[in-house]
Amino acid sequence: MNTLSYTKNNRLIYLYVMPAMIVMALVVLYPFIYNVVISFTDMNLTHFKDYHFSGLRNYIGVITESTFWYFFFKTVLWTVLNLIFHVGIGVMLALIINENIKGKSVFRTLLILPWAVPQYITALTWRGMFNSEYGAINLLLDKLVGIQVPWLSTEWGAFAACLITNIWLGFPFMMIIALGGLQSIPSSLYEAAEIDGASRWTQFKNITVPLLKPVMVPAITLGVIWTFNNFNVVWLVSNGGEPADTTHILVSWVYKAGFTYFRMGYAAAFSMIIFGTLLIFGWKFINRTKATENVY
Amino acid sequence: MRPIERSLLDSLLHKFSTSYPQYSFRQLFYAPEEARTNFIISSLAGKGPALLHGASDNIGPMVELDVIRPMEDLFDQSYLSRFLEKPFPANTWFRGHLYQIADRIGNHLCLVYNKDIIKKPPQTFSELIAMGKKLTRDDNHDGKPDHYALAWNYTEPFFAIPFIGGYGGWIFDSQFHPTLNTPATVKAAQLIYDLANKYKIIPKECDYEVANALFKDGLSAMIINGPWSWGTYLKAGMHIGISRIPRIDETGLWPTPLVSPMGYSINKNLKGAKLKMVVKLVRFLTSVDTELRFTRLGASIPSLTQAYNSPLVKNDSLIQHSIDQMMVGKRMPVVTEMRWIFDAMRPAYQSIFTGRLSPKEAAQKMQDLAEKLIRENRE
Amino acid sequence: MAAGVKKLSGIRKVIAYAVLSLFSLFSIYPILVVFSISLRPGDRLLSKSLAIIPHNYTFQTYVDLFVHQPFLRWMMNSLIISVAVTVFAVSLAATAGYAFSRYAFKLRDASMMGLIMTQMFPVTMLLLPLFIMLIHIGAYDSYWGLIIAYSATALPFTVWQMKGYYDTIPFSLEEAATIDGAGPLVTFYRVILPLALPALAITALFSFMTAWSEYLVAAVLIQDQDLFTLPMGLKMFSSNMEVAWGLYSAGAIVVSIPVVILFLSLSRWLVSGLTLGSVKG
Repeated sequence: MNTLSYTKNNRLIYLYVMPAMIVMALVVLYPFIYNVVISFTDMNLTHFKDYHFSGLRNYIGVITESTFWYFFFKTVLWTVLNLIFHVGIGVMLALIINENIKGKSVFRTLLILPWAVPQYITALTWRGMFNSEYGAINLLLDKLVGIQVPWLSTEWGAFAACLITNIWLGFPFMMIIALGGLQSIPSSLYEAAEIDGASRWTQFKNITVPLLKPVMVPAITLGVIWTFNNFNVVWLVSNGGEPADTTHILVSWVYKAGFTYFRMGYAAAFSMIIFGTLLIFGWKFINRTKATENVY
Repeated sequence: MRPIERSLLDSLLHKFSTSYPQYSFRQLFYAPEEARTNFIISSLAGKGPALLHGASDNIGPMVELDVIRPMEDLFDQSYLSRFLEKPFPANTWFRGHLYQIADRIGNHLCLVYNKDIIKKPPQTFSELIAMGKKLTRDDNHDGKPDHYALAWNYTEPFFAIPFIGGYGGWIFDSQFHPTLNTPATVKAAQLIYDLANKYKIIPKECDYEVANALFKDGLSAMIINGPWSWGTYLKAGMHIGISRIPRIDETGLWPTPLVSPMGYSINKNLKGAKLKMVVKLVRFLTSVDTELRFTRLGASIPSLTQAYNSPLVKNDSLIQHSIDQMMVGKRMPVVTEMRWIFDAMRPAYQSIFTGRLSPKEAAQKMQDLAEKLIRENRE
Repeated sequence: MAAGVKKLSGIRKVIAYAVLSLFSLFSIYPILVVFSISLRPGDRLLSKSLAIIPHNYTFQTYVDLFVHQPFLRWMMNSLIISVAVTVFAVSLAATAGYAFSRYAFKLRDASMMGLIMTQMFPVTMLLLPLFIMLIHIGAYDSYWGLIIAYSATALPFTVWQMKGYYDTIPFSLEEAATIDGAGPLVTFYRVILPLALPALAITALFSFMTAWSEYLVAAVLIQDQDLFTLPMGLKMFSSNMEVAWGLYSAGAIVVSIPVVILFLSLSRWLVSGLTLGSVKG
């Protein structure tokens, strides 16, 4: 096991770990508990400062909302598709760049740009590009293949538009993580495999993937969680849920309930349900990939 | 407030502070939605800016959340009587208390037309449609028009509500219960739908930015937009005219855009000497002189009777036309229900344009959702 | 050196370059659109022309940005905060990650899980109570609140990232160092940390980005306009329904430049030449 036996240095361990944990506790704990508490109350516009305990009423309200399950499904779909492309594209590009490529740094820099430019304006730029009259995408599609897609005025067109935008925004991150991870794999392993006559695919499967895992797993786990809760992109590209409030994922609904209607009790319960879902996922995922295992 | 107005505000605050050097006065600017949210959050936490300047439709929620204070005990009657009562009361009362003192009224949609394309704006919709047939052309013969008669953000309820009034109906009754499933609503939606699909004089897919782009590029002869945008058209060098949104032929009525005052509300947390100072500041910012300065800069309609009747206002054609439109507008309600009604309208209303619902079905759905939202939020 | 030993040749080379070029184009096109918006007079977000440089281009927006707006002050403010957050978060993550990697102490799994859990709750709902709390400890209109909040945002990822990276460093190195007589601290600083440079680079970049582009928390905590950060400054270009697109896009382009510079300077560690090939078995 990759653990040291400095048992007499327990104090050192805690010294290493405590500062980080204290900061986290400070910032997250109180707001979290606050939300847990009010999720059981009827805090809303009518009784904001004078709320009362209302038990599970909010939770039941959320689950019995007909559209809840539909948006739940959409959110899961959104998350899965995004991650597949983020990781797929990111790792692929990292592998290529890692090779003996001329102009490496130029490519690297170009490929990181989507991450560097402020999201607010690039999301709105993409929205403009998907406009069926004025948008660059339809103008190009028209020139090349003669078709035009009604992106933003149809439900799944809008979903696709948000998806493409978010893929654009997200792959650089995975690419960088993968690049960093690839650095830790000693070339001697590949050399040895080469000598043994292993094909590129076998090398990839047996060397690259396992050694990349410990670095990619945190990124993927957090990627799933962040994408699931990514309110900005969906909101901006669909202009708040258009067409007709069908382009939503769970968190944009929470936002609406909490900040537009001030139904804080309801929004808190909703958030708890989202939290619970992700918790179950996170637990299962971490356990299955054994992220705390060593690699050698 | 637009940037030039904000600079004016800065210089005014500076001038005011020379009389009271022990205080400093600063302005903090946000887009309306965020200003509202940030103000509410900071006020709830016991702090926040002393004054909020905005439109009156935020009053309802803010009173219910208890973040602004009643003002009638802070200002004497002689001061308050200097404000307009007709055609619209400038100051906002809610549940028996004064919550906002206005420094301008308006914020309403008008028909804006490009004088380089049209000399005289249409007075009725049949005129507009006739004009439209000539103005809408497909120059490059790709099957889609390049020039439109009219473009505006018609998929947003706020920009469609005036037409409901034009057909003699309204979004709620005197008790603020929603009345969306009426023939007026259906006909209003049908009209807009026909403009896009039957008469084809407005674009099929059009939001705020697209409408602006078309108008600014000279590809749309007219647009329906509010005073906040006129400055940008003027800055782009356009020759624009303002007029009333054309009459509805069937009823002979003018469409009724929502008119709201904009003004100052006071943070609940303010007390003592600071409160007294803020009262002085409000009086200063709503003096005749100040209001006319803003008018000169941004064509806003003043809230004080004296300023309203001044030669500056009377001789400005843009403002006079804006006032003309305002005369047939309806007052923006300050009750919280207003926002829920907008939100209830939006999904079903937009479904009409994607072809999923007919106007009649949509109207019923709007009504159902409005009732549901009100019920949920009030429980 | 790079992971794949074989030199790239023939058809593989062509495909590799093609893929890279395609994705580079994909990456940069929308940004070129943003750039062209900044060059267009009249605040035009949309245009029928596909030209990147509009025929009536002007650099006026950039001039306005620096001369008529306190853009440089916003930049200074953001720099101070972002650098502070980067230093703070990297130090905390480098040490905590190491401890999580090497020591199987009792609360380890729970703490790691806890870190991830903090990301699962929708941020918007945490704002109001967070704000109330920060007010009560006097963090209003000061950078401390922001630095702590942003570090907290960056920590879960950075700690895990460091831990994951440390996991790939074989234990034998520390053993060798111990045999040579080095204590744990020295081993950490002299032997392990240098090997973790790629992860440190990523951690630094990520922390910087988190602070540099954050808007929500800053908007509620900072009310003094002199203390505005870049995202707050950029947001000021939008009013009622009209957005000053020219200024906004010019701002967006300029705001991205420091991030790209940071990335360029850190990227030499992302492809560091350090190999562990010398360690066998």
